Amino acid sequence: MNALELDGLGKRYGSKWALRDCTLEVPAGTVTALVGPNGAGKTTLLQLAVGLTRPSAGSVGVLGLSPQRDARELLPRVGFVAQEHPLHRGFTIAEMLRLGRELNPRWDDALARERIERLELARGQRVGKLSGGQQAQVALTLALAKRPELLLLDEPVASLDPLARREFLTMLMEAVSEGGITVVLSSHILADLERVCDHLVILSHAQTQLAGPIDDVVASHRVLTAPRTDPATVARVHQVIRESHTERQTTLLVRANGHVYDACWEIHPVDLEEIVLAYLGYAPAPLLREAVAG
Amino acid sequence: MIWVGWRQQRTETLLAAALLAALAALLIPTGLNMASAYDHGGLASCVGHTDGGGACGAAVDAFVQRFRKLGDLLDWVTLVPGIIGILLAAPFVVALEQRTHRLDWTQSITRRRWVAGKLGLAIVTALVAAVALTLLITWWRAPFVRFQGRMDNSIYDDEGTVVAAYALFALGLGLAVGAAWRRTVPALFVAFAGYFAARLFVDTWLRQRLVSPLTTTWQTKAGGHVLDRAWVLSVNPVDAQGHPLHLAECPAGAGPCEVKAPAVSHFQAVYHPASHFWALQARETALFGIVAITLIAFAAVWTLRRD
Repeated sequence: MNALELDGLGKRYGSKWALRDCTLEVPAGTVTALVGPNGAGKTTLLQLAVGLTRPSAGSVGVLGLSPQRDARELLPRVGFVAQEHPLHRGFTIAEMLRLGRELNPRWDDALARERIERLELARGQRVGKLSGGQQAQVALTLALAKRPELLLLDEPVASLDPLARREFLTMLMEAVSEGGITVVLSSHILADLERVCDHLVILSHAQTQLAGPIDDVVASHRVLTAPRTDPATVARVHQVIRESHTERQTTLLVRANGHVYDACWEIHPVDLEEIVLAYLGYAPAPLLREAVAG
Repeated sequence: MIWVGWRQQRTETLLAAALLAALAALLIPTGLNMASAYDHGGLASCVGHTDGGGACGAAVDAFVQRFRKLGDLLDWVTLVPGIIGILLAAPFVVALEQRTHRLDWTQSITRRRWVAGKLGLAIVTALVAAVALTLLITWWRAPFVRFQGRMDNSIYDDEGTVVAAYALFALGLGLAVGAAWRRTVPALFVAFAGYFAARLFVDTWLRQRLVSPLTTTWQTKAGGHVLDRAWVLSVNPVDAQGHPLHLAECPAGAGPCEVKAPAVSHFQAVYHPASHFWALQARETALFGIVAITLIAFAAVWTLRRD
């Protein structure tokens, strides 16, 4: 079963598409990193999934339900932590938890209390006085205590310092290890997420460029090097994500369609970070044409 | 949602309560003082005989003089329903500005219920505060009103049902501007200015037209008893047939001129008698109430549709 199913999903603000013709399946039980540059449509995608915005085109299915039509049924089963994790700044931590209890039928109060205790936060402390990292932790606690089947996190660690980032991800991994939860988290960088995630979706120019299990992604990409040459023959069989030339050498990063048989290319494995970087700089041909025409 | 809604507007509710408490602290002692002066001065027996002069006239004058300053101060109370309404619009706008509504909307509550809960609570609180204010002022003014009636704008504005409608209108304006703008401070300032402008327009122009005023003509020497406690819109000299006198003899630009006494035999007044009080109140309440409900509905729909 898929926790998240997007079919031709699009969202337009004015004349600009924030997300366009996005088709994607996120299998249940996975931890998926949604990676893309700022403005690629990550936030829009997550907000569509949690029902904060309505699609302009296509459809989105979450746990087999529609976020718009079935909000009442779906909301208790989905946890969401928004970018910059806005909390009620005037509330104390205890009041934040009470809000969670009042607004969520499946609220797990014991879990919430236990997490706050482990963070060594006083329940009477005002949320506005907490550090960014602590606020992120409280926001995550609020989302986890809903006992969601699907947890959506929008840039959860972007504003955190490295230590807070690690603590946040540790807490997230613990929750995941208890099982029964699908996680989709977005980020503009892959750093740190690699050890948490098993699936990867790369979003840029308002479209998905790549989606799949991280192992498959790594296995299917290669770096090819050869004395300076025209890559046209390779491009006919394999998808060239990035090409760079020096005077003497041509280097390609390709998504290999089966084996690369051409003997004049030297074949190297490539790590995930480099693949992601290549995709972030990659614009598929039709979009480039459109950009020029526009 | 009730606890959450209450918690989110707790500060504003307490501020409104503090404002009312401060007013009560001023009005209850002076009101008791005034009621006792009224009882002991034997003023009750003077009601309706104020024109006769004599002991009654003097007693009433003394009473009115003694408490008039405070009464004038109370003219400012007409701003209070506006302040209460704007204040109670703040939590909703703050939530939209700080985007915490999205936190609430991604709990298990539907946004429709969230909007209904927040707005419903603000409406109820504004109405309760407005009714409390009305009762307080009406009780305090009761001795005055027995002599002067309550058709004067400064009294009419604080009594009856209009106060609740004003508060609701201010709330609606704050919510509507705030929902569209999502910047709390400027939105609420603009809303308050709008409230003030609307009240000014109704007080000075529209109210007198809500119900057709009456006209009466009397001989100069007879005096206009019928105007007692009435809201007099205009008094003009007329001839015996009731036609307005054209004061053509007056030299232009020479300042106020006196019409020769023999020419003016009659006066004509256009006025709202005291009996128009509830008709005027009902229409003005309906007017502000309908506008308020429209504004609140706009705020709700705009908030639900926009995201």
